[in-house]
Amino acid sequence: MRKILLLILFSGMLVLCSNPIYAQSPVSGIVTGENNSPLSGITVSVKGTSKATKTNESGAYTISASPGQTLVFSSVGFGTREARVGSGSVNVSLSRVNQQMEEVVVVAMDQKRNPKELGFSNQTVTGKEVAETQRENFLNGLQGRVAGLTINSTNGQAGASSSIVLRGFNSLALDNQPLFVIDGAIVDNQTTNETSNSGSGLGLVETSARNVNQTSNRTNDYTNRIADVNPTDIESITVLKGPEATALYGSQASSGAIIITTKRGKNTNGRVVVGYDNAFRWQHLNRYPEVNNDFDAGNNGNSSSVFTYFGPRFSDTTKKFDNAKNFFQEGFSQTHNISVDYGRKNASFRFSGSFFDQSGVIPENTFRKYNLRLSNTTNITKYLTITPAISVIRSQNDKPRRGAGGYLLNLLIWPSDNDVRNYQSSDGGKNPLNFLSPNDDLDNPFFSVYNNRSQDKTDRMISTMGVNIKPTSWLEVAGRFSYDIYRSEGYSFYHPLSSLLTRGLGGSLDNYYKNYTGYNHTITATAKRNFGKFGARAMVGTMWQDYKTEMYSVYGTNLVDSVGSNGQMYKGGSIISNNTFASTISNNLADSGITRATTRIRLNNASRKQEYNYSQLRQLAYFGEVSVNYDNMIFLTYSHRFENSSIFPKDYRKYNYPAASLSVIVSDIFPKIQKGGYVNYLKLRSSIANTARSSSPYANQSVFNTVTSSGGGYAYGFNNNNFYLTPERQKTYEIGTELRLFNNKLNFDFTVYNTLVKDQIAENFRSSYGTGFVLNTINVASTRNKGVEMSLGFTPVVKKDFRWDVKFNFNRMKNKVLTLPANVPEFYVSDTWVYANARGGLVNGGPTTSITGYSYMRNNAGQILINPADGLPVIDATFKVIGDRNPDFTLGTLNSFKYKNFSLNFLWDLKVGGDIFNGTDMYLTVNGKSKKTADRETPRVIEGVLNDGLQNTANPTKNTISVVPYNLQAYYVSRMAEEEFVEKNVNWFRLRDITLTYQFAPDGLKKLRYFKSLGLFVTANDLILITNYTGADPASSSNNASTRGVGGWGFDYGNIATPISVNIGFRAGF
Amino acid sequence: MKKILFSISILVTATLVMPGCDKQIDDAYANPNADVKVPIEQLLPGIISSMSGNSAGHGTLNDIRFVGKYVQNFLFCNASGDYDRMSGTRTTSDNAASVWRTHFYDIGQNCVQMIQWGSEEGKWDYVGVGKAIQAWSWLTLTDLHGDVINPAEAFNTSALTFSYVTQDVIYNYVRQLCRESIENLNKTGGAVSSANLALGDAYFYNGDAAKWKKFVYGVMARSFNHLTNKASYNADSVIYYCNLSIAANAENASVKYASTGISGNTNFFGPLRGNFGSVAIGTETAIRQSAFIADLESGLNISFFNVADPRAIYLLRKNTAGTFKGLSPNKGQNVIAANDRPESFFGASQVSNTVNNATPGNDNNCRYLFRNNSETPIITASEIQFMKAEAAYRKGDKTTALAAYTLGISLNIDMLTTTYGTNVPPAEAITPTIKANFLANPAVVPTTAAQLNLSHIMLQKYIALYIHGAIETWVDMRRYHYDDFEAGTDRQVYTGFVVPTGADLYPDNNGKRVYRIRPRYNSEYVWNLNELRRIGADKLDYHTVECWFSQP
Repeated sequence: MRKILLLILFSGMLVLCSNPIYAQSPVSGIVTGENNSPLSGITVSVKGTSKATKTNESGAYTISASPGQTLVFSSVGFGTREARVGSGSVNVSLSRVNQQMEEVVVVAMDQKRNPKELGFSNQTVTGKEVAETQRENFLNGLQGRVAGLTINSTNGQAGASSSIVLRGFNSLALDNQPLFVIDGAIVDNQTTNETSNSGSGLGLVETSARNVNQTSNRTNDYTNRIADVNPTDIESITVLKGPEATALYGSQASSGAIIITTKRGKNTNGRVVVGYDNAFRWQHLNRYPEVNNDFDAGNNGNSSSVFTYFGPRFSDTTKKFDNAKNFFQEGFSQTHNISVDYGRKNASFRFSGSFFDQSGVIPENTFRKYNLRLSNTTNITKYLTITPAISVIRSQNDKPRRGAGGYLLNLLIWPSDNDVRNYQSSDGGKNPLNFLSPNDDLDNPFFSVYNNRSQDKTDRMISTMGVNIKPTSWLEVAGRFSYDIYRSEGYSFYHPLSSLLTRGLGGSLDNYYKNYTGYNHTITATAKRNFGKFGARAMVGTMWQDYKTEMYSVYGTNLVDSVGSNGQMYKGGSIISNNTFASTISNNLADSGITRATTRIRLNNASRKQEYNYSQLRQLAYFGEVSVNYDNMIFLTYSHRFENSSIFPKDYRKYNYPAASLSVIVSDIFPKIQKGGYVNYLKLRSSIANTARSSSPYANQSVFNTVTSSGGGYAYGFNNNNFYLTPERQKTYEIGTELRLFNNKLNFDFTVYNTLVKDQIAENFRSSYGTGFVLNTINVASTRNKGVEMSLGFTPVVKKDFRWDVKFNFNRMKNKVLTLPANVPEFYVSDTWVYANARGGLVNGGPTTSITGYSYMRNNAGQILINPADGLPVIDATFKVIGDRNPDFTLGTLNSFKYKNFSLNFLWDLKVGGDIFNGTDMYLTVNGKSKKTADRETPRVIEGVLNDGLQNTANPTKNTISVVPYNLQAYYVSRMAEEEFVEKNVNWFRLRDITLTYQFAPDGLKKLRYFKSLGLFVTANDLILITNYTGADPASSSNNASTRGVGGWGFDYGNIATPISVNIGFRAGF
Repeated sequence: MKKILFSISILVTATLVMPGCDKQIDDAYANPNADVKVPIEQLLPGIISSMSGNSAGHGTLNDIRFVGKYVQNFLFCNASGDYDRMSGTRTTSDNAASVWRTHFYDIGQNCVQMIQWGSEEGKWDYVGVGKAIQAWSWLTLTDLHGDVINPAEAFNTSALTFSYVTQDVIYNYVRQLCRESIENLNKTGGAVSSANLALGDAYFYNGDAAKWKKFVYGVMARSFNHLTNKASYNADSVIYYCNLSIAANAENASVKYASTGISGNTNFFGPLRGNFGSVAIGTETAIRQSAFIADLESGLNISFFNVADPRAIYLLRKNTAGTFKGLSPNKGQNVIAANDRPESFFGASQVSNTVNNATPGNDNNCRYLFRNNSETPIITASEIQFMKAEAAYRKGDKTTALAAYTLGISLNIDMLTTTYGTNVPPAEAITPTIKANFLANPAVVPTTAAQLNLSHIMLQKYIALYIHGAIETWVDMRRYHYDDFEAGTDRQVYTGFVVPTGADLYPDNNGKRVYRIRPRYNSEYVWNLNELRRIGADKLDYHTVECWFSQP
């Protein structure tokens, strides 16, 4: 790898060195920070004149000055430096002073605030840091970098969705993901939710045909849409974790907000500044669930033609195949980013483009993305500035089916004496394992990925307009307007020969499109005034939001007349081969014309054929904020927001909530403590806020279904979509401190928070028919969520050429269900009930992140009860809490070394505690492939007492019945309870990202005529994973990110591990 | 200043635009994807279908399959049937609690909405019909279950638990609903229209509000008639409402069916829907006529000794021997000689002890309530006359009682010949002469009023309500504690009726008879258990607790 790097480097230099560079009349140069990293946004002025410019992203500037004049370099947060203009370029390096003291934080409503006055915790990550991880979904680059932020990615497929949660889970049934705001405008981060709730909402076609179309978000994944954002366009990401920070953003931000500020064009004095970088990535899957391949297919030790491996032991001479290795491939992807900056005094532009093309470790799994963005800043008059921007994004994801019936599980239970590569018959059809009837056959994983295909394509345009008017020094009016529009088109195709469908269906095709149109604007007016030592600021504003998502889906079966019942495909009455079949449908899989017209149906709502379903939210809000400070040392802020939301009926539509915060700079009040330089800064802060979380649209409107009784007409369905639903109410307080010690070498931030959510909406639980319905939805539950967040940064070494920075982000959360109605013994999100009898259920008094499932029946002393008839345990077939997914704590450790022109950054992600239901292992066990079943020939007596009536007496009968699982597969198949597969206290220590960069010194670049800056890098992702988890990867989720509530993380079923990635590339400025 | 004005004007403009937002917000409220409001004319058909047996299989007919065994209309074809033995419903089963579901769910909110939207739209006829059905439904519910959910709490979509009230509260509420119903049915003008009402009740009264009023009076009459054991019993109230109620078969309240060959709009008891096939204990819907009715119809009951009732061929099934025989509780049909085993109600011969009633499942073999298109009576003119007869008899006005009694039989025969004559062998059809002879038979209709006794009235009522009125018959029988004797006589009211005892009574009953059905398991036992404990409904023999209506 290193050799390749050097080769590229030297070959580039050879070409470029032949053109020596000569100094031109305008003076130019590079401004660098410590260790030669380019500094952007540094003001460069000619001393004694009004001439000034700023450095671009590559740290480069150009200014006209004559030799002998003095240039002044300055910026907030850096010291000022002067340099005389000589005959060549003027390169200077600046060092940071008094870190953070002068920073500006972008908070709600695109307001810029001095961190001093914030009474709540916030953390900022630079775009550079995230882009450097080379992760196409920038969310995945945030894990470990912010205390209290958790990313749960679905699995290691290309285009997989990731869910993000700040400070843990508050709502049982509603969305817990934060709001995304780009340059003050709200941007959508939906993941397509394919469940239509019996046709009352959006979703795919529902059909019971082996449940392949609407898969409850289990077997198909759809990229979460914020991943459309190009990571290299991001200047910074501010994470507002508590609702106090987002009380102003309203109910959509009750789970926090991620505020993204994009890069903007700079004044380049009319010069075109170009930046280019690329990355080439190789991916390798190195972790698989372990399987046991010692036994042949069969039952209870006897050979049989089944896909369960409880048959006789293979003889040593049996040829076996490493099917897992033969199936997966090496992934490859490439990224190319280009940026162009152009600016003059009153107008600047930035254009950026990005191309990403990935081929994953699973055959046929690809992800491709194009981004274009153009932004502008124009000062129309002295007091009016506009900042329009437009992004155009296209992405396409081809993805295999995961989870049940997907490639991985089929691969794992594929007979080890059968080569998985022989998936095709001579005519290109399916090579069935001949001992099974077609409907009970198993799809070869290759057959599966080649023939059961799905795809989604998205075209998106995000346009924003910012208007800032500053008529006087004390008043500022700002407007942020944005349109966010996209259209996704997708299909899910099942081959007629797939065993996931009954043969009679002749294959199926599900096509859908989804249109999203979001408009929002925010207009604020802020006035500031000082009265002696007191300062005051008041803001009033209004916000309008209108989001509409339309979805239309069609479903059809019998692809080109294939109606085979015996594994054959037909057209026009005669049998055709797969090759003919493939040519007949001409690989135009998305064309529903390939399904027979009579089978094309749309089931979203049977009574309204040929219309799309849509979901719309409109909300008008007014808000105000008043902040007073005393001598910039004590800051008190109060805000209030009034909402009027279309989700609720007229009489309950208007609601409001307050928030207040206090910040006290102790070190300024008592400057004495700063003496000696030990304590440089001490701030105490606290805030308290209320907020509301609304249900999804239409959740309060019961719908009528058609009835077929005499006279027809309508009747209510089972579900009470309660008219009287109100928003969930969330109350949070947090207390924290910020401390800087030892000449600012050590920064410490500590927060304790406590969130109570009342009136939570429990959806569709069974209740007395007294309500008039069978399933009820009411505001009843409440939860508490509390935690501690710490971040600690320090610099162990600062030398002339060497610097070492360390940062820790610690997070510990605890959550609890405070109340659930007595008649709701367990509330669960049904999407998570993916395999066997374990699901994301929660019970009164338990954690909100619990796993409920079947366990062993036990006596009062806690001993397992054994059935005297067969010596096997008795299963308690009720859902009880058998695990808690919440980790004890997580710790992200960032190390950053800089030595001369080298820098090395890496992030360790430590998770301690938290349980995982290893559904994959249970599936393997039930099918005789798990390592658990390897010792099946060994006789054993299960520890426990007989369920003989004496089990709860003083002398229960100890079990002495010896069993040999080899002859008694029930031992694994039906008598191992789900609790056996909950792996307790799963820890991981992961090297998330490691990047080595070499940045050429400006002097060294002089010989390269066109380069203003150049850096080379190697980045590896997920290189090391140390875990006590027995499965492939403890970071996996049974559901995609669209599943609400706590979601499907901590349920591992049919997921591949995150592959190891190695990226190399270079970054150049021209 | 100019700049400040400019800024302020932007803000003001923005604020002025806002009022339009209220409408936009309102526009976005309603669910565009499914119907959240439908015309009330489209709600009534489903509600009416739920009075008998709706497309989902719920309604009175569903429960009658079980209740009919308590009163021995019919019995289980195998031995050891739960309901033959007067058991309550067991464990997690919802058997015999279908009315609970239809009352709260199928009729429930649909009817509440119909009434609400009907009042908003001035369709008072729909409001009256809605309240009429609610009155009937509450009365039917409480007659089956005794204590039930408080009407003041019912249909509150935000409640988690519901408290129960005693039956007297329900009876008062039923009468209140009846009065409100009449009040609304009396209204004219506005949007009240017979043609419009017919859109909703085409399969009931076809838009005739006057008939709906008679139905309401019938419910009123029932509510007073049920209280014969109470000191407050007032025979005049019963007679008063009977006189206002259904007087002719043309006015019979009955649910009709479109029967287009699909299950949803076909009679629940018809062969197409095949609701008599299962034999699992606890379900036991495979039924045969009882010995009690067979004997009553073939002159073996001392009350109508040696009278072969010409209605038998309409109501009952013959056996291979050509006679009418039936089953005894808990014995099954196997103990009967093969040739004496009655055919199933679908006309399947039982010589070889055929369990499956649905075979041959041919509508042409079915009669009476068991055809795909047979209408289901809810309240008949005949029943009204028997209520009047009993009330007049109790009052001492035996002349009126005899007249009503005679008219009751006559109306029932007319109903059978006009509505349920299909597939009756022509040779055995009731002709006017046969009817006249039957009514002239002193063993049936006493020649003098003084000879009339309670057994006459109650047994003829039993026949007139055979199967379709099983719930009302159960009310009657419970009033007479199944085998009470007529006061001051040595005559059992239901002569010949043998109450199961000993091994023929379910063990959980602790030797007691069944008096109520416990609330629906999957509504109440799972989700409202605390309240059930309060009223003792968690006890295994809760079903043997006598209801308020039959207590003194």
